[in-house]
Amino acid sequence: MGGTQKKKFERGSATNYITRNRARKKLQLSLPDFRRLCILKGIYPHEPKHKKKVNKGSTAPRTFYLLKDIRFLLHEPIVAKFREYKIFVRKLRKAYGKTEWSAVERLKENKPTYKLDHIIKERYPSFIDALRDIDDALCMCFLFSTFARTGKCHVQTIQLCRRLTVEWMNYVIASRSLRKVFVSIKGMYYQAEVMGQLITWLVPYQFSHDHPTDVDYRVMATFTELYTTLLGFVNFRLYHSLNLVYPPKSELKGENEDEYAMDSESYPEVSFYLFVSHTEQPKRPDLEKVEAREKEQMQLETQKKIFEGLKFFLNREVPRESLAFVIRSFGGEVSWDRSVCIGSTYEATDETITHQIVDRPNVDKSYINRYYIQPQWVYDCVNAKVLLPVEDYFVGVTLPPHLSPFVEEKDGDYVPPEKLKIMALQRGEKPGADLPEDDDDDEEEENDDDDDDEEDEEENEDDEDEAEEKNLKEMEKQKSQGKSLQVKVTPGKMKMENPVRLEQEEKAEEKRLAIMMMKKKEKYLYDKIMFGKKRKIREANKLAAKRKAFDDTEKAKKKKTKN
Amino acid sequence: MAAARRLKHAAVSQPGFLGLKSNVKSSELVSSRRKRVNKNKKKNWNRHSDIHDVEDFLEDIRHQERTTGGLLSEKPDDSLFFLDVEAEPVKAEKGKRRVQRPLRIDLILQHDSMVPAPKNVTAYQQPNAKKLRRIAQRAEQLAAKGVLPRRQRHLLSRRPAEKTVKKAEANNNPDRDFYAMWGEEKVTDSADPWYLQQTGKKLVQRPEKLNQKPSVLPAVEVIAPGGSYNPDFLSHQALLQEAHDVEVQKQKQEDKLQRQLAFRKEDRATEVQTIISAVAACLYEDEDEAAAPNEDEADSALGAIAVAEKKTERQRKKEKAEKMKTQQQQASRRQTERQQQLFQLRSIKSSIKQQELQTKARQMKRKARQEAQKALPRRLGKLKYAQDLEVQLSDELAASLRQLKPEGSVLKDRFKSLQKRNLIEPRERAKFKRRLKVKYVEKRAFRQIT
Repeated sequence: MGGTQKKKFERGSATNYITRNRARKKLQLSLPDFRRLCILKGIYPHEPKHKKKVNKGSTAPRTFYLLKDIRFLLHEPIVAKFREYKIFVRKLRKAYGKTEWSAVERLKENKPTYKLDHIIKERYPSFIDALRDIDDALCMCFLFSTFARTGKCHVQTIQLCRRLTVEWMNYVIASRSLRKVFVSIKGMYYQAEVMGQLITWLVPYQFSHDHPTDVDYRVMATFTELYTTLLGFVNFRLYHSLNLVYPPKSELKGENEDEYAMDSESYPEVSFYLFVSHTEQPKRPDLEKVEAREKEQMQLETQKKIFEGLKFFLNREVPRESLAFVIRSFGGEVSWDRSVCIGSTYEATDETITHQIVDRPNVDKSYINRYYIQPQWVYDCVNAKVLLPVEDYFVGVTLPPHLSPFVEEKDGDYVPPEKLKIMALQRGEKPGADLPEDDDDDEEEENDDDDDDEEDEEENEDDEDEAEEKNLKEMEKQKSQGKSLQVKVTPGKMKMENPVRLEQEEKAEEKRLAIMMMKKKEKYLYDKIMFGKKRKIREANKLAAKRKAFDDTEKAKKKKTKN
Repeated sequence: MAAARRLKHAAVSQPGFLGLKSNVKSSELVSSRRKRVNKNKKKNWNRHSDIHDVEDFLEDIRHQERTTGGLLSEKPDDSLFFLDVEAEPVKAEKGKRRVQRPLRIDLILQHDSMVPAPKNVTAYQQPNAKKLRRIAQRAEQLAAKGVLPRRQRHLLSRRPAEKTVKKAEANNNPDRDFYAMWGEEKVTDSADPWYLQQTGKKLVQRPEKLNQKPSVLPAVEVIAPGGSYNPDFLSHQALLQEAHDVEVQKQKQEDKLQRQLAFRKEDRATEVQTIISAVAACLYEDEDEAAAPNEDEADSALGAIAVAEKKTERQRKKEKAEKMKTQQQQASRRQTERQQQLFQLRSIKSSIKQQELQTKARQMKRKARQEAQKALPRRLGKLKYAQDLEVQLSDELAASLRQLKPEGSVLKDRFKSLQKRNLIEPRERAKFKRRLKVKYVEKRAFRQIT
């Protein structure tokens, strides 16, 4: 009727969103180019809250982008490069069709390229922003560096990824930032602490290569393009923060170029020799004189050097790169057989080797002064931050389970017995010194649970009382029988009162008193909380019992096979 | 004029007079009346002067020059005459090839006169020829001495241009350089912002909203502890339980679908039932008539409802009064309610409190649900996000790191993670759709016609 009437879908959320095809037409790009541009610039599709409004009444599943984002994309100089590339492809195809080889050469020489530096600067204005996003970048770069060098994706990308990942690993080694390692069925998870940021990344195994067909390689390649640039700049900054030369030059490169044909050899992890200036721990400017903080620092310093002074040798069948990386980042020396890869410093026959990492069921030749252990020992030591006893990891021994360091156990949760053992080791106690032959009695180790029941203590006391009563009864019997008791008066022994135990007893007393003095309402609430906690403990006990049962069956099986 | 004419006549009539036209007979001289022309006028010098003899003479000279290249009288004797001392004539040799006659076109194109064409002097003229000649001579003299001209000296002293062909480096070049992007020292921008703006090179500022991450999930999610290559028994069981739950869900969905699509037991006729129904159909054919009388009663009832009578005045008044009554009743009831509510304050308060508690609880639930929603992947396209769980069964667990067979591929995991974090929409490989051509077949009727 009139022109001033409001029409539907002309304002509000309907005009804030734009469909993917419309956006593509607005930018005058093809669909793969549009996708690439969005990935590079960090423009992601949005799901609108009210789909019907935005879709003008229909509920067809469409991909929506914010209109302001697309308008921002219009100003990007890379869009012009994409169009140039399209024209280049067209000209090249024509030259090929007309078999004008000189034209083909000329065109190929002047192929249009683009650089992503300004995009990185725009998306990550400060270094800390870049560090926060480096997880994804590292995962992609490690993944691409394991690809086979067929022509499926550019071989140059793979080489660049390899170089960047090796540089990153060298930095982690130099700054001793590695904190956790987890060997899983998918790959190896590492966690490092760099400039206060916890960075986790996943490295695939070298020997797994079934390329799934439902993954879009172009998308992954575009992500990698962006991430390689980002990682390169981050590496540069990190190296400079340690006063190291970037890019690192390898001294061994010159000698061995003739021997090794593959390019991957030229980027080895021979990190000790790469650095020109000495490694210095970054100094923290404001060291407070708080005792706890200092203690923490001291602990951290000791944890960073658990492998210092130890010399390792890797057998052929163990994952060389991963182990070398882990061992070196904690101060140890490592080498491998000369024919495996360049960069080996000493041979297997070296007498000063302390540990040799083997993964075979048996070892033929063995030296006396070195331990032959399985690779899980290294990873478990790193996670426990302390050197674990080597006996559990000897060749041919059933290994203890490899626990995940990324799991934080709260009070009352089930803690696997292996973890308890490790915690005991961390505290500096020696388990297994006065245990009976049964291995399962590890569970009787000290439980650090604060909410330990008084019942347990009472039970213990009852048991002691019963034992005493029994003794007394026997003695009375003997006396009544007229036999002379064997009780003699001996000089008194000083009962050493354990101060720790006394403290604990005092604390328990105080707690009991406090509980008695609570009001009814408060007591009610307290009971509720305790019930919940006790439930957890009960469940944990159930699981422990299950575990015990399983271990018993395993033992029975073993005995059967032995017999 | 008349006198001149008379004089001319008189001269002509004299005997022996030879007029211009000498072959004209004398008898005709007297009879023809010649027009008298004034030869003193310029106009008549061209028209009425007879220069035939001069022209003949000149023609003769020209002819001589054309044919023989000069006057015959000036030619030397040798060119005109020769002493014939030879006795025998030269025999034309037979059997030799005849000299080919020259082509007609060549003959036409030859010069047909011995007089040479005149030279075009302007073609050889050069302005400033003398000056240029002098300059050239001077230059030669200097060059002979060894002095270079000024221009060459300048050229030689000029610095050679540095040819820097900057080849554009690709972004994924493995030897590419990186520089300090987040400069530790305060590096000012190389160009003035005003300059950048004026030349159109200023980059547009990135909107703030784009710096927010599209999902709260972390970039790398570590697998559960049961996913270790040598897992702890219970955590492995927990992981298996999870995978089992997922499979159970799937199975449940399938079962539900089957259930919904299946026939009901009652509908499904067994063999016995089919036999019974067939027999019953044969036996009870007589019972059809009993169904008929029921229908008539229903019709009359319907008829009664359809016709409604008009309302009378009394009925209308009654209705009005009733209406008023009910309204008054309601008003009074409301009044009493309001008064009573004063005494119900406590219960009202408690009920309000309860309602508030309920709304608060609902708000919290909704908030919690929204937070949980944030962690889920958004629906960004046609396909829904599908998560797969990597787990190895107990018999697949490896005894040692050497024998480990990796499960799942990191590439797929990363791809799924990108989808989960709403960076890309879930995508599937494009299927190969076979487009079959439609076959056109004539109808049978038409086939008979054609």
